[in-house]
Amino acid sequence: MSTTKKPLLEVRDLKQHFPITSGSLLQRQVGAIRAVDGISFDVYPGETLGIVGESGCGKSTTVRSISQLYKPTSGSVIFNGIDLVKADQRTMLKARRDIQMIFQDPYASLDPRMTVRSIIAEPLVIYNSRRLLETPLSSLDIERKVEDLMERVGLNKAFKNRYPHEFSGGQRQRIGIARALALNPKIILADEPVSALDVSIQSQILNLLGDLQKEFGLTYIFIAHDLAVIQHISTRVAVMYLGKIVEISEAVQLYDNPLHPYTTALLSAAPIPDPKVERERQRIILTGDVPSPDKERNGCYFYDRCPKRMPWCSCHLPPMLDIDPKHQVACWLYDKEDHSNVTMEEALADAAKPKT
Amino acid sequence: MFLKRNKNTNAALNEFAQVVEGNSLGKDAWRRLKKNKMAVVGMIIVIVYSLLAATAMFLPIYPYDQIILDHQHLRPSFSKTAGELMMETRLEDLYFKAWRAGSLVVTEEQSAQIRKWIADNETNKVWDFCYTEGERQREAGLFTFNSTDQRTIDRLQEKIDTEFLISVDTIIYTDLESGKAKNLAKMEFKEIESIYANLLKVDIAVIEKQTLDEISNQVLNTLKAATPGLTNEEYALNLEMEMDALGEKGIASMAKTNLLGKVKTTITRSAERDLRSEIRSGAVEFPLNREITVNEVLTAKVSATKKHERQYFLGTDYSGRDMLSRIIYGGQVSIAIGLVGTLTSVLIGIVLGAIAGYAGGKIDFFLMRFVDIMYGLPYMLLVIIFMAIFGRNIMNLFVALAMVSWLTVARMVRGQVMSLKNSEYVEAARSMGASTGRIIFRHMVPNSLSVIIVYSTLRVPAFIMQESFLSFLGLGVQAPYASWGSLVGDAVNGMTLYPWKLIFPAIAMTIFLFAMNFFGDGLRDAFDPQSKNQL
Repeated sequence: MSTTKKPLLEVRDLKQHFPITSGSLLQRQVGAIRAVDGISFDVYPGETLGIVGESGCGKSTTVRSISQLYKPTSGSVIFNGIDLVKADQRTMLKARRDIQMIFQDPYASLDPRMTVRSIIAEPLVIYNSRRLLETPLSSLDIERKVEDLMERVGLNKAFKNRYPHEFSGGQRQRIGIARALALNPKIILADEPVSALDVSIQSQILNLLGDLQKEFGLTYIFIAHDLAVIQHISTRVAVMYLGKIVEISEAVQLYDNPLHPYTTALLSAAPIPDPKVERERQRIILTGDVPSPDKERNGCYFYDRCPKRMPWCSCHLPPMLDIDPKHQVACWLYDKEDHSNVTMEEALADAAKPKT
Repeated sequence: MFLKRNKNTNAALNEFAQVVEGNSLGKDAWRRLKKNKMAVVGMIIVIVYSLLAATAMFLPIYPYDQIILDHQHLRPSFSKTAGELMMETRLEDLYFKAWRAGSLVVTEEQSAQIRKWIADNETNKVWDFCYTEGERQREAGLFTFNSTDQRTIDRLQEKIDTEFLISVDTIIYTDLESGKAKNLAKMEFKEIESIYANLLKVDIAVIEKQTLDEISNQVLNTLKAATPGLTNEEYALNLEMEMDALGEKGIASMAKTNLLGKVKTTITRSAERDLRSEIRSGAVEFPLNREITVNEVLTAKVSATKKHERQYFLGTDYSGRDMLSRIIYGGQVSIAIGLVGTLTSVLIGIVLGAIAGYAGGKIDFFLMRFVDIMYGLPYMLLVIIFMAIFGRNIMNLFVALAMVSWLTVARMVRGQVMSLKNSEYVEAARSMGASTGRIIFRHMVPNSLSVIIVYSTLRVPAFIMQESFLSFLGLGVQAPYASWGSLVGDAVNGMTLYPWKLIFPAIAMTIFLFAMNFFGDGLRDAFDPQSKNQL
């Protein structure tokens, strides 16, 4: 991926805070869960951006904020030159045609009362009735399109009158993919599309996604917590921790040379399918739990659990530091200055200084 | 068997020849419903009931509001006419009196038995016994009535043989000059006026004055009923205003109805006189349909039936009205209340519940507090107050019942919608740009249908019951209209003496409610594609 390419999707300082309220009639906000707390990244056409992180770090919220299922608190999501956060409904609808989602649970993401046909046809029907398609479709066209899509994702088109509960998990996920493809989107946000599936089915679905990417020139934002899956499918990987991106890099580079202490720990946790290597592998075990994301911090978000923490980190929020043009990491270890010798007092004094 | 095989070939066709037809939740539900035999039976019964109720006007049954006092409390019978039953009742009575007077001789044990029955209040058994015993003895020549009783019997027999009901169907006016025949009911009021004057052989001015007086009296009466407690001058003023408001046309149409009624009565009376003398000479055969000539311009089509030759398959009630037709007409009211009430309450409930559940926040809060308040108010009291304010007619009964019965549905739908709101398929629909309406009515409502359907089918009987309760209190259906509830309520008084009055409406109601429940069960299963509960 060359950086000279124009990005398809730019996410700038995206924040998604969920208010914590108390009181029944006169509700007032007493705090906020900072599910996504100021993340920025670009997605280039044709690539697959993998997002990894442990449970609760805000991966799913990120994609939902991008697709405006949750209205972001602040920040911007620029797609094709349109800021989706500020867009009005009609522009949003037009843009949404190009941004589709695949959901995690193939059992919950399909309406049990709808036949496969109506599920796959639903986006077409909606956009057709809103007259937002380039060419209006007749019901026969929609029918054909549905059959076509079913064949594309490897479903027998004779199954179109069946209900979701009559299918296996993998088949259901194929239905979900067909639905996402119906509007010929440019980018697909895949929210852990394989984590609910058997390993054998996972690879089928991953290969299907890969094939479709080649065929339609799709761009994916792919969430998973399985590192092997991410390694397999991604061209670039972003690692998230507590609502922030801590490291973003080309997939190969990230797996070969993880820089952020959290990434290292995360990668070391993945088992290696080779008993010899596995036995000698050194695991970095993080202490403590993920802290609650309900307060703003002025130090590094990973400070509490970091094996390489320095006094400096406790009160200075690390910016994204460029290691090379394709690799950024949010860690003071890689700053040009060396902070390792700074004592706690000096660090606090530095943090208290007004910024110039 | 045939159905099954047919279905299998269809399925095979789908798999291999790939001929797949369009499908929808509705179509699919119908296919599944057809497989559920009990549901189909229930559905057929509900449809038959509804058809009977809807077409009651065209069925060959007696009018439900015609009171024939001679026919009070006749028991149901397929073979005997009303006259025979009347005679039977009278004989039972006479034989019982004879037993009391000692002229009907029975054995000691039988007498003791009769006394015991009387003590136990089992009057029907006493009458039955007296009748059979008396008839046996009379046939055997052991018993004869005394002259007074015999006279009563003869008089009754004569009445049964001669009394008839007459009705004038159409009156035809023939223009003497052109010779054209016209239906009197379709003619102008002025013409009818002159014809009527001619018929009575009085001056037309007299008739004109009379009709005008009548109309102003009518209007005055309705005024007095609507606003009681005014002085005479005020009434006079109001009357003038009302008459002005009516205008030429209104007055003419009122006068026409009055005049037509009068012409009919006149013709009926004269026809009755003629018929009675004919009967005495024994020259008439019933049922009778004939055209009679009133004068040189008027002819009338008259039909007459023997009054006591009617047959009441389900008996009659306390004022001699046919139970069969009362049950059918009562079904009209009861079924309509059950279905319309449920439908409106479910519709209001779905819409408000879905809005509250989906919107959440303040809207939800205020809607639900409103529901809470409504819940807190005594429900029957609300209905009663509503009926008292807006008047006691069937339309208001519908409104009053629907007004307070949507609460539970709204609560239920709200709960369902809230639990479905965060499900992934709703999120998926939103990510595809589906509108709120589409999400609610295409995704959420179909997924809460099973609960709604079960609840609504339980509501139908509840509505019928509530209506009967209100009718019992005198706030529901007013006589001469009937509903199953009011029929049962009326029958409770004479339950032991006239059990048929209670049994038949109760059976009719029970069958309908059963059918409704089976149908509802079937519907719920049919609308749930995942249901394993299929036959």
